[in-house]
Amino acid sequence: MDVASTLLVPALSIRGLTKTYRYGHFFSRRSRQALHDLNLELPAGEVFGYLGPNGSGKTTTLKILMGLVCPDQGEARILGLPSTEFGWRRKVGFLPENPYLYDYLTLAEYLDYVGLLFGLSSALRRERAQHLLRELDLVRSAHLPLRRFSKGMTQRAGLAQALMNDPEMVFLDEPMSGLDPLGRRRVRDLILGLKAKGKTVFFSTHILGDAESLCDRVGILRSGQLLAVGRLDEILRMDIPRYEVLVSGLETTQLDALPCGIDNRRDIGERARLQVREGGLGALVTAVERVGGRVLSVQPVSESLEDYFLRQLTAAGEEDPEWAE
Amino acid sequence: MGGMRRIAAVAANTFRETVRERVLYNLVLFAILMTLSGLLLNPLSLRQDEKIVKDIGLASMELFGTMIAVFIGVGLVSKEIERRSLHLLLAKPLSRDEFLLGKFAGLGLTLSANVAAMTAGLYATLWMIGRHSGPGLLAAVYGILLGLMLAVSIALLFSTLTSSALAAVCTVCVVIGGRFADVIRNMREVAPGAPGWLTTGLYYALPNFHTFDLKDRVVHGDPVGFHQLGWITLYGACYMGVVLLAALASFRRRDFQ
Repeated sequence: MDVASTLLVPALSIRGLTKTYRYGHFFSRRSRQALHDLNLELPAGEVFGYLGPNGSGKTTTLKILMGLVCPDQGEARILGLPSTEFGWRRKVGFLPENPYLYDYLTLAEYLDYVGLLFGLSSALRRERAQHLLRELDLVRSAHLPLRRFSKGMTQRAGLAQALMNDPEMVFLDEPMSGLDPLGRRRVRDLILGLKAKGKTVFFSTHILGDAESLCDRVGILRSGQLLAVGRLDEILRMDIPRYEVLVSGLETTQLDALPCGIDNRRDIGERARLQVREGGLGALVTAVERVGGRVLSVQPVSESLEDYFLRQLTAAGEEDPEWAE
Repeated sequence: MGGMRRIAAVAANTFRETVRERVLYNLVLFAILMTLSGLLLNPLSLRQDEKIVKDIGLASMELFGTMIAVFIGVGLVSKEIERRSLHLLLAKPLSRDEFLLGKFAGLGLTLSANVAAMTAGLYATLWMIGRHSGPGLLAAVYGILLGLMLAVSIALLFSTLTSSALAAVCTVCVVIGGRFADVIRNMREVAPGAPGWLTTGLYYALPNFHTFDLKDRVVHGDPVGFHQLGWITLYGACYMGVVLLAALASFRRRDFQ
């Protein structure tokens, strides 16, 4: 495959992926659909955020891609090869959610083991391990048994093993989980560094701030189905835009008498912040001026991902969506 | 060739994993202590001291070796599944077959090292009572090692099918059943009501660990020919092959949720 055709091949292509987990014993067999007809395509070199609340099917998708779980239907291709084949594994790194590393090994030994599985030479294993230990600030911990690692150190060690083969594409399941702000910053920089090197990054998260700061595109998953895929600004533009109007010089009764269509009102002393949808903006400004008030500013309010999710989930009648900032 | 290298990598890591288990050292130490305890019976033994030391030494080797094979063998795979360390490995260019065979080979190495240590302990004990046993003792040790490898393969099979606790119970049942295979075959003589198809079926289905037992012959100085060693090797290899194939088939289809 030449360079031009490599660039044309999607890094990841998923078609009709469906998975139902069956559990319980013989007399009380139950099932839960984890994924339903999932379709997704990722071009090479993209940082893609796979978003959804806990239990939405993010980890199941990754497990199917990594061959840990068999799908009921559908297929996936990674770097142009069927996910059931072996060839792509040399070029891919994977970090599962809350990775467990062997208690009895040191990180240096573990990275050497992983390098052996990738068939790297002894010199290359040493070189890659040293590079990753430096990049993830684990040099001083390289010869400690992994059982002594804190949660954040384990997460960084998991990232190191995922990058041991200098992969073309990385799958990261909740990579920021358990990290302190400094650790999160380091991982963010690492992901941005991978992007700068032209690598493809597919990471699942329910921490929306990470997606907002890192992703070229996101996919939003709920109950095993993709709600939306696209650039963040595209997804948030799906909604009717809102405006925040700052007004002054109005009594509470006058504010109460303003026309309907105000989504949110916050009184701040003699001023008030009013949120209104695009269609109601003109009528609101006219009404404020008619009763003697002053419009101090009008600003477009971009909806945050969190707002978007919460509204989608509320519309679907789901309770207690587990999101984090 | 790459497959063999990966199997060797998993085997080497498994060996490193198991030799760092504290319980392993306790069991090996206890086995050597048991062998040394034969010295205490020396004054009571009426010139049977060599036989007593050999009997106790070989029996300890078999008992503690079986405990290591079953409990570490069961934990090897099921612990990786339960703790999800397996997820990291199977995303690498490592097939499920290579992983399982590597685990088997790794524990085989560990057992060989343990049996070697216990054998050295037995020879040392014999030397302490002034007896110099020749290499004939090694035939019994070889039979014990084959039995232990078979027990490991059974433990691996169950650990691919169920949880570690249930796998341990099932493995212990099969190993005990296999030790009493001859008793099961002759059960109708003491319990005429027992269905013949059941006792015969169990006799042939269970691994006959008695086949590997050369202890009595070695202790009493009877020679063990290469023909017999070849026969028990063939039986062990065939049985292990079938059990490992079943384990691979089960492991290939398993979902790791």
